Amino acid sequence: MDLAPVLDGFAVVLEPTNLLYCLIGVVVGMLVGVLPGLGPAATIAILLPITIGIEPVTAIIMLAGIFYGAQYGGTITSVLLKLPGEASSVVTVFDGYAMARQGRAGTALGIAAIGSFAGGTISIVALSFLAPLVASFALDFGPPEYTALALLGILLVATVSSGSRLKAVVAACVGLLLATVGRDGFTATERFTFGNLNLADGLDFVPIAMGLFGLGEILYNLEQRHNATQAPTKVANVWPSRQDLRQSSGAIGRGSVIGFFLGILPGGGATLSSLAAYAVEKRRSKTPERFGKGAVEGVAGPETANNAAATSSFIPLLTLGIPANATMAVIFGALLVVGVTPGPQLVTEEPELFWGVVNSMYIGNILLLIMSIPLVGLFVKILRVRPAILAPITVLITLIGVYTVNNSVFDIVLVIVFGVLGYLMKKAGFDPGPLLLAFVLGALLEDGLRRSLLIFDGDATGFFTRPISGTLLVVFLVVAVYPFVASLRSRRRQEPAQDTSDPNTKELV
Amino acid sequence: MTTNHRARRWALSGAGLTLALSLTACGGNVGGGSDSDEEFPGGDPITMLVGQDPGGSTDLIARAAADGLSDELGVPVTVENRPGANGALAAQQLAGEDPDGHTLMVYNGSLAYITPLAVGEGEAPDIADFDIVTGLSLDDYVLVTAPGSGFSSVEDLAAAGRPITFGTTGVGTGSQLSQELLFAQADIDATAVPFDGGSPTLTAVLGGQVDVGSVQLGEAIEQIESGGLTPIVTFAEERPSYLPDTPTAVEAGYDVPVQQSRAVFAPQGVPDDVMQTLRDGFEAAFETEAYQQLNEDNLLTPLEVDGEEIRERWTENLDNYRAVVEEYGIDLGGDA
Repeated sequence: MDLAPVLDGFAVVLEPTNLLYCLIGVVVGMLVGVLPGLGPAATIAILLPITIGIEPVTAIIMLAGIFYGAQYGGTITSVLLKLPGEASSVVTVFDGYAMARQGRAGTALGIAAIGSFAGGTISIVALSFLAPLVASFALDFGPPEYTALALLGILLVATVSSGSRLKAVVAACVGLLLATVGRDGFTATERFTFGNLNLADGLDFVPIAMGLFGLGEILYNLEQRHNATQAPTKVANVWPSRQDLRQSSGAIGRGSVIGFFLGILPGGGATLSSLAAYAVEKRRSKTPERFGKGAVEGVAGPETANNAAATSSFIPLLTLGIPANATMAVIFGALLVVGVTPGPQLVTEEPELFWGVVNSMYIGNILLLIMSIPLVGLFVKILRVRPAILAPITVLITLIGVYTVNNSVFDIVLVIVFGVLGYLMKKAGFDPGPLLLAFVLGALLEDGLRRSLLIFDGDATGFFTRPISGTLLVVFLVVAVYPFVASLRSRRRQEPAQDTSDPNTKELV
Repeated sequence: MTTNHRARRWALSGAGLTLALSLTACGGNVGGGSDSDEEFPGGDPITMLVGQDPGGSTDLIARAAADGLSDELGVPVTVENRPGANGALAAQQLAGEDPDGHTLMVYNGSLAYITPLAVGEGEAPDIADFDIVTGLSLDDYVLVTAPGSGFSSVEDLAAAGRPITFGTTGVGTGSQLSQELLFAQADIDATAVPFDGGSPTLTAVLGGQVDVGSVQLGEAIEQIESGGLTPIVTFAEERPSYLPDTPTAVEAGYDVPVQQSRAVFAPQGVPDDVMQTLRDGFEAAFETEAYQQLNEDNLLTPLEVDGEEIRERWTENLDNYRAVVEEYGIDLGGDA
């Protein structure tokens, strides 16, 4: 492969402004990782409007930093306070907190940091090689291929998401319906616009994301009673012993691979891959009874996997323009806001942006590794900021922010409506993620399908005669049928349910 | 000064009202001396609305013109993007502003003479409800194909012996209208496949997903020059200076000039002297090197004519297109 653009990408990252924003990004990321409730998707959604004023590459470097920075931050509170700051760090609690109680908090954090760094870096290297390869097929990706891909994406989102599958399907359907609002792009007929010109182009992605994730999370968190912050355990011995390293090196390797592949899959991502990595470590271990009582592999595996996944989930977004999970959907929105359409052309048309963002992750991971240990105490203090102070400020930033994107009061109304919807969804146990993803993919699916049928002159068998769309559709069928086969088989074997991971995630392991 | 005149119906304004009353400037006949000491723009900033996203051609033109205008008038001129419905949202907002010259908009010709053919009654704004300050420039459409398709002229397309597919940059755009008109007149069996804007359309043509596509010249020129795309015809009235070797559709025997055009609009009822100050300001802006460079970089043909000439051209375009579309039974909306 041609290395020149890769090296140019490093030149882009090393510009002082970009370094600064990378630093800001990872610090903010660690911060929200520490704060329970406010996840990276919410934070990025809230910060979307500020990207308008800055260079696209700088903006995305910062937002990406928030995403993988949050994976580091979430670990800290999981280990020290048994309080996962982030969904992807939930499993870290099991062994991380146990280690902390044995006085090995430092070791747990150290291993987590090293694992995160390794996972992130391995994933970036793979990304660097894989992304241009995918992009080289770019011109072969026509409407039929996008149709198949969107179909597969929606299916995976609905079946693979954490939590109740039925609820995920319901949320995804609502997302698909919302995607139909607006002037139809093929006949210019108004659909569900009620004569309102604000709806002529459909619902805008940004206010929906900011409402569902930003405002919705804030409202939901206000309801949670916050426990008084426990005094964090003293942190010492950050550097893991040689034995710890030897014990966890396998876990780090497997975590990288699991994280990388689950991150690419639509619907996968950090949370799922950390659950999967934990399950794999436990299953492989000769002494599974140590898990939950301070097994170092139980920290290393998931922490490596969630960082590897955070990185690899950029692949489908940057090469195909398909967001793999909710956070990527929000970054997708950010790219649109700064005037960049993510898609197969990105690598060749905007090499500086592409490689700038990818390479910034190397730098960001190094920054995180350096910062994460000494700053532990500081971040834990942030937990003492009362929600009563934090919440109104965040709401204000959200509402002002969304107005500045399109200078539209209507968008403020949308944020509030979707904020309330997001709150109600969380309260009723619905994950807003599938809704947002289906909303993004829904437009892609409908347009792709209708374009394809125009091209095929109405002949649907055309989908199967093209190699890429045909293959994707076969994968679609396999994924659609597999859960039934699997559940039949497991019923026959009467496999006992695993205590840690929820039943839906097992199928992926 | 900023007298607050409510919007007045266009029909009334043409008649010979006294100068004091005819503040609903009927653009073209301003001729007389402007009260140069009248305080426009005062110290107040001017807002220029843009109905498209930041970064697109319309936005870039607006920003370059705004810079020149700001230097000339000595007040800040800020560009405010209000994207949606091909600019109809921004136009709606403009119509509700005071006609004091402090709110302007860069208006796309397609919204005036193509969108009305595609959308339902009353969904596109009427240019009769606005004052027009000045024309800006023309943007040409070019019909392109991938070299691998083997097509190089309209005759080739007609002789393909199968229905062809053509990519458009969206429904109700010049890209769609130009091709619909061409294929209807050339009696070619063709299916429109609408994409979201120029870049996806180009990708589809390059990848052979569709046989041909019509995009704005500035978007395709790099690929044309590098040989990645073959130009078939342009839809300009006469050959654009940027693509001298490609025939126009008119030369090829089809009467389908379709161009994107842009002009500066104001709410109806801008006082004559304010209008004159604005026009002088824009004229100075057009002379700046930065603005001319922008035209050149984006392959735009200047059309810095009087507002009333724009009104005539655009109205005529709409009537012509409506007539041809009806004659050939073309339905831009529910496309066959």
